[in-house]
Amino acid sequence: MRPIRLRRAVVLATATLSIAGLVGCSTTTGGSTAGGDVPQELVVAAWTPIENLDPHGASAMDNGTQVAAKAIYSALVRTVGKGQFEGVLAESWQPNEDATEWTFRLRGNVTFSDGKPVTSADVVASFNRVLELKGAMASNYAGHEAKESGADTVVITSKDPDPALLGKLSTFYVTPAAQEKWDKPVGSGPFVVERFTPGQSLVLAPNPGYWGGKPALRRLELRSIGETAARMTALKTGEVDLTWAVPDDQLPGLQANSDLVVEKDQGNGVITMWMNSSAKGLGDPAVRRALWQAVDFPTIVTSLFPETGSVADSVVTPNVLGYAPQTPVKYDQAAAKAALDKAGWDYDQTIRFQFSQPQFQQFTDAVASDLAKIGVKVEPIQKESAVFLQDLLALNWELNIQQLGTAGFDAATNLGRLYTCAAKRMGYCNEDLDKLLAEAGSTSDTAKRQELYAQANKIIWDDAVGMYPMYVRTLYVRNKSVQGFTVPQDLTPDFSKVRIGGDG
Amino acid sequence: MSAITVRTRLWPVRLRSTPAVATAAAVVLACYLLVGLVGPLLIPYDPVATSVADRLLPIGAVRQDGTLALLGTDGAGRDMLGQLVHGARTSIVIGVSVVATCLAVGLALGTLAGYLAGWTDVAISRLIDVLMAFPGILLAIVIAGLFDQGMLVVVLALSVAGWVAFARLARGLTLSLRVRPWVDAARLIGVPTPVVIVRHIIPFVIGPVTALATTEFAGAVLSEAGLSFLGLGLPSSTVSWGQVIANGKDYLDTAWWISALPGLALTGLVVSTGLLGDHLTQRLGSSR
Repeated sequence: MRPIRLRRAVVLATATLSIAGLVGCSTTTGGSTAGGDVPQELVVAAWTPIENLDPHGASAMDNGTQVAAKAIYSALVRTVGKGQFEGVLAESWQPNEDATEWTFRLRGNVTFSDGKPVTSADVVASFNRVLELKGAMASNYAGHEAKESGADTVVITSKDPDPALLGKLSTFYVTPAAQEKWDKPVGSGPFVVERFTPGQSLVLAPNPGYWGGKPALRRLELRSIGETAARMTALKTGEVDLTWAVPDDQLPGLQANSDLVVEKDQGNGVITMWMNSSAKGLGDPAVRRALWQAVDFPTIVTSLFPETGSVADSVVTPNVLGYAPQTPVKYDQAAAKAALDKAGWDYDQTIRFQFSQPQFQQFTDAVASDLAKIGVKVEPIQKESAVFLQDLLALNWELNIQQLGTAGFDAATNLGRLYTCAAKRMGYCNEDLDKLLAEAGSTSDTAKRQELYAQANKIIWDDAVGMYPMYVRTLYVRNKSVQGFTVPQDLTPDFSKVRIGGDG
Repeated sequence: MSAITVRTRLWPVRLRSTPAVATAAAVVLACYLLVGLVGPLLIPYDPVATSVADRLLPIGAVRQDGTLALLGTDGAGRDMLGQLVHGARTSIVIGVSVVATCLAVGLALGTLAGYLAGWTDVAISRLIDVLMAFPGILLAIVIAGLFDQGMLVVVLALSVAGWVAFARLARGLTLSLRVRPWVDAARLIGVPTPVVIVRHIIPFVIGPVTALATTEFAGAVLSEAGLSFLGLGLPSSTVSWGQVIANGKDYLDTAWWISALPGLALTGLVVSTGLLGDHLTQRLGSSR
């Protein structure tokens, strides 16, 4: 019996030791957190799922990818307001006289998370990648070329003058020239990827070598919670510390909770409902205008979005360069019906109305209801976001709804990127508009550009390329322990300065 | 058949088996049927028409145009009463269609398997085993997900695995019926097999199968609501309680009536069907 007893004793001793070890470990971890008592861990429920970490490809302009990119990579410059920029990787920049050639000097001390320095070769490779992949951003850079000029200087030239380049570059992120693993990419941003499950969760750790100083957070998780109710519950229970794009209807329940802080951004988004001009019957501007006229948007906006919505009067928001107020489209069903009859609208045709995010559910239902009153059949179809994006680019819809922001607060990244014939985003092609946009994109005089974009705005609005019913402000709700967070104006929060305080 | 009434139960049976409870359940069911049949004629409801100015009105509130929203409105301003009444019709139609399909298929295959025995029985029984090994609702989700949304697809999806219970019951009963004297006699005097099955087997199988049909009805109604809740069931142009419950889940703490009312209606229908089914099983059923 002796050997058995001995063995048992050894097992017991090992078990005791390992338990003691575990306890010891957890005490040390607990004691070593910055700030002493609160773990510096932040869980964020991202508004849209993060499907992809590639900041150059098809989903480059998705909010999820943009949010992730801001944390993992660095851009050359970032927007701080309308027409104001701040260097990120670029230390300084200089356009030539007619803005066809921009010279960027890179910061000297920046390295990627794998320790290699960020060089002009990486910037050029990233830029070329955007052009090659022909993704959502590529049409920003038609006729552009990036060249290195020494290890720390990049020159971006364009065929036509491009004074809006800085605005466009605010969503252009630099990755190493030799990047291979896009599920665990190397970047030079404040965080590095620890684990990524597409569409579900992105776990980030601080980048100790970040040039702007190592972030206070020890762990940052961006989680995708599709269900609004689940997202709000997670916020109330403290499972999630921060989220944004909170629906108006959820506000009363959240405001009652004293642990939560509600903030609103200035708003840069426009609810944009493109009508597919290449679809049957929708090529006629009179039809598109009539459909727009048939929907009582003022009532829908004030009923569904009392906190965050306001009726739009332009294709871009007032804080964007290129904004110009347009004549409101007056709700008049009789006139709409008459115009449709005159244009020979086929009332048996069903308009497929695609959307992805749940906050559009009631909006689309209300639009369908108003159009049904004059006999136009609309079928709202909710799609999973990857399918939605694929169908959107393939023009596999008649009516589409999404929230569009204007990166860099410059119409060049919105009107100039989306409404050209070459972009083929909504089947609309107008050579006059193309000329205007090309001219506006290549004029360096700000006043002249404003004037040209105002004209473009008018064409898009009057031709009813889409319906533009509402400006959106975004509600940000965070736990009050989250500190150092500034509400972003472009829906992409920066977590590098965030820390977790006590209760205060 | 009447001798087989004693069954061991794990819980007190008084509530489930008294005729009074069964009568009450039958009355409740009759009300649902009446609402489903007549209600939609009296209370018009258009699932496409919304009225966002009247959204989220509580029970008994008055709309902007002065009409009464008896049971409130949902997040898009649609009338809750209308949705409940029209949803009742949808639930009953789906439940009846699914049960009818399952009953027809299950009864046919089950009696064939039981009566013919041999390879027919082996083939049908193995098919039943295969389907039993697969969770029914999962199969329904896969089928409903593959096709475009529609009433027919939902009925098909729920019937694919639903007939199995009927077939098993019918087969078991037939196995014991085929050796009864009157069946032997019929066979001996040369009555053709189909006639034997229809005239001498099915009349004795139909009772227990009907009892089973009631519980299957409740299951079908619940499954349809489940599919619609997941967005895989009926298209939004057809009112379904499952959809209404799903629509209200964002408003559970502010506008509880959107999810709670159809939930209660569903519970009432399923519970009373179950109680009636239990009673029928005791009256008509045999040990399954």
